[in-house]
Amino acid sequence: MNALLTSAVAGLTAGGTYALLGVCAVFTYRLVAVVNFTGAAIGAAGTFVLIALYEAGFPIWPSVLAGIAAGTLTGVAVGYIMTRSFGEASASTKAAVTVALLVGLIAIGLRLTGGQHPHNMPELFPGSAFRLAGVEVTIASVLTIGLAVLFTILSDLFLNRTKVGLNLRALADRPMAAELLGVRVQLLSLLVWGMTGAFTTFALMIIAPQRSPNFMTLSLLVVPALAAALVGVFRSFWWTLAGGIALGVVEGLASSIDSVSQYRSAIPFLVVLSVLLWSQREARWDEAR
Amino acid sequence: MKRASLRASLSLVVVALVAGGVAYAGLLPSYWVFLATSVLITSVALQSLGLVAGRTGMIALCQMSFAGVGAWTVGYLNLAEAPGGLAVWIPIGGLAAVPLGIAIGLPALRLRGINLAIVTLSFATAFDTILATMTYPGQTDFLQVPRPELFDSDEGYFVFVLLFYLAIAVALEFVGRSRLGASWLAVRHSERAAAAHGVSIATAKLSAFAISAFVAGISGGLLAGYLGTLVSENFSMMQSLSLYAVSVMTGAHFAEGAIIGGLLVVMFPEILRRLDWPQDIGNVLFAVGATQALSTGETMSETFRRQFRKLLPGRASKAAVASASALPAPVERAAGPALAIDGLTVRYGSVVALNNVSLTVAAGTVAGLIGPNGAGKSTFIDAVAGFLTSYQGSVRLDGRPLEGMPAHLRARAGVRRTWQTNRIAPELTVGGYLALAAKGLSASETKAMLDWLDCPHPDTLVASVDAGTRRLLDVAGVVAARPAVVLLDEPAAGQSHEETLRLGRRIAEIPTLFGSAVLLVEHDMDLVRAVCSEVTVLDFGQVIASGPPAKVLGERAVKKAYLGIEEESVAA
Repeated sequence: MNALLTSAVAGLTAGGTYALLGVCAVFTYRLVAVVNFTGAAIGAAGTFVLIALYEAGFPIWPSVLAGIAAGTLTGVAVGYIMTRSFGEASASTKAAVTVALLVGLIAIGLRLTGGQHPHNMPELFPGSAFRLAGVEVTIASVLTIGLAVLFTILSDLFLNRTKVGLNLRALADRPMAAELLGVRVQLLSLLVWGMTGAFTTFALMIIAPQRSPNFMTLSLLVVPALAAALVGVFRSFWWTLAGGIALGVVEGLASSIDSVSQYRSAIPFLVVLSVLLWSQREARWDEAR
Repeated sequence: MKRASLRASLSLVVVALVAGGVAYAGLLPSYWVFLATSVLITSVALQSLGLVAGRTGMIALCQMSFAGVGAWTVGYLNLAEAPGGLAVWIPIGGLAAVPLGIAIGLPALRLRGINLAIVTLSFATAFDTILATMTYPGQTDFLQVPRPELFDSDEGYFVFVLLFYLAIAVALEFVGRSRLGASWLAVRHSERAAAAHGVSIATAKLSAFAISAFVAGISGGLLAGYLGTLVSENFSMMQSLSLYAVSVMTGAHFAEGAIIGGLLVVMFPEILRRLDWPQDIGNVLFAVGATQALSTGETMSETFRRQFRKLLPGRASKAAVASASALPAPVERAAGPALAIDGLTVRYGSVVALNNVSLTVAAGTVAGLIGPNGAGKSTFIDAVAGFLTSYQGSVRLDGRPLEGMPAHLRARAGVRRTWQTNRIAPELTVGGYLALAAKGLSASETKAMLDWLDCPHPDTLVASVDAGTRRLLDVAGVVAARPAVVLLDEPAAGQSHEETLRLGRRIAEIPTLFGSAVLLVEHDMDLVRAVCSEVTVLDFGQVIASGPPAKVLGERAVKKAYLGIEEESVAA
């Protein structure tokens, strides 16, 4: 029993990260109508700026700040391409563009960071926060989950309770119409991209020491993130949060069982498959066409 | 249609014969032949992707996983010393990928492309680890997949791959121009419009996905024979992703797009290697190219085709010779109500869009449905044609209730509709569209049908047809299907006065020429007066008048609904 709990708790850091990335994906989708496949790659870019600076001997916390700034900038750059050239494109085209950009980002990232070459990623928050039924809960997991919950609450309040949030939702549906109403579409969209870039970067910095930190594996964290977002049907922040954490916990559990541990990266796929099959119970026509 | 497929296939065969001959005769350095084989195998994989991504418009990110399944099967059959050799194992490998393709396609049936992108990407990551754990059959004891004796040399294997490529390209060429191929394009453009032609969205998407998985599996099998031994990295997710970018960039659903893509994927790293540059720059280029293609909405193949067409002298369309006698024969129908709607009520939340609407269209007649904007006319058509999830009341076609039938089955049962906005896939030819709309129309019937409504030649691309004519084409399509009832949603919108008069005469002919009853939704009162024998007027979702047009259009309530005020105050 205790062994199971230990492995479940071990999955919490990952779960918090998936949840945060997932909530960022939903946030991006609801505000700028893009299903963003580059989310984790943007965060990976920032994380690798931190690693590069740290390896070059810079002190850690300024490097973290520089990394977050780099992640924000990468997010803004991707956002610039999306708003500039694809503002009025269909959701499907926008998703295809982010897939193409993901290919480019991973290629550039791998080139700049020396491919699979191992890196020395500093553990930002070592140690345990508290003990739960005799099991150590790490600061990292408390932090990622806390961050995910914070972002969920903020997103929820922002979108549902503030006037700017409402404006932004209007923007996602009809950017042109919002623009005509005097909403500063471009600026607000870039703000969304920058903000999610910053949060994603910070989350990846926390989880990176646990993974083999190469650019590709970090970029591919977008898969569990989108799986979590699907649990929330790309609408509900709270369901996405729950989905992400559950995904991490299930992965943690799976890694403790020998016969399935090798296959644990198939878990997001199974989650995606079942969520989609479940959500198809009723027929739906494609977006107003 | 068939002729165009034959022509395209013939040119493919000729090019392939020349390429195969040159290679086999040893006119090329062996290394070039080796590279060219790789180009062809990549092209096969790209063709499989072109089918889902290019034709059906879905984002598929696990194509190399399907290839991996094909290759794994070939490796397994080799290890098991199955009879038949590579030429038999490869198609079996393709078939092995089909169930997986269908299983992964299932979640994308009712929801559009984005979900498929997520499913396929997560499958690709899952497959990566599974294949790495399982290892490729024979990988540990270095067991090679033997090539067929006849094609054992590099030149020979090139010809072997070329034969597979050719067979697939020709087959896809024919399928692409068939009704199934047209249904893929239609689904990509508008699922509703496709369903309105009786196309099952599920069948269209699943068939595209199944065939695509099959072709991808074959490319994996070809790769197994090419390299002899494989490792899981050959089918990694990154390969699938970059293949997707390439297919978007070059337009892999065109034969030349797949070849250009194959050339880029193979040759670009080769050139970079010779220049001593890092080879992964290739993916950056593909990403930029794909983004560019998505922003202009035109793939490399389409650009080439457009430029090429400019060079050719414009083909004069053949003079119309088809006579009205070539029109498809009318379907005999019993007299009585063709379509009977009773107590139809539709609610959107608390808004009542239609309230207890009853209406009958008698067989062999043209009935009209009019009303001011927002009266519920389009909602009415949506409900009857099966595009609303729920309504109250009953819809009967020839006495049979249609409740519980989805849109495509209602269309097949005999309720066909047109749309206010144009929903014809622009990549189709005019003739291809008619074939999609009306199954089994002969060439002369197609021509006669188009002439009957002054539509352009069957070989014309829909993209080059003006908006007004596309509306007529929409009408031609549903009428050619000769259903029990045709629902025309404002066919005269955007037509000039003369065109409207001519269209009116045509609509009036529909019952006698084709045996279909017509329900005409229109704003043009002259048209309604000229062709309808019965008119029903809707206002705010309620029937406010019905009867012969002369009587109904004179009623005060009708005038008030249209003008918003009493007639007297207008006069005053």
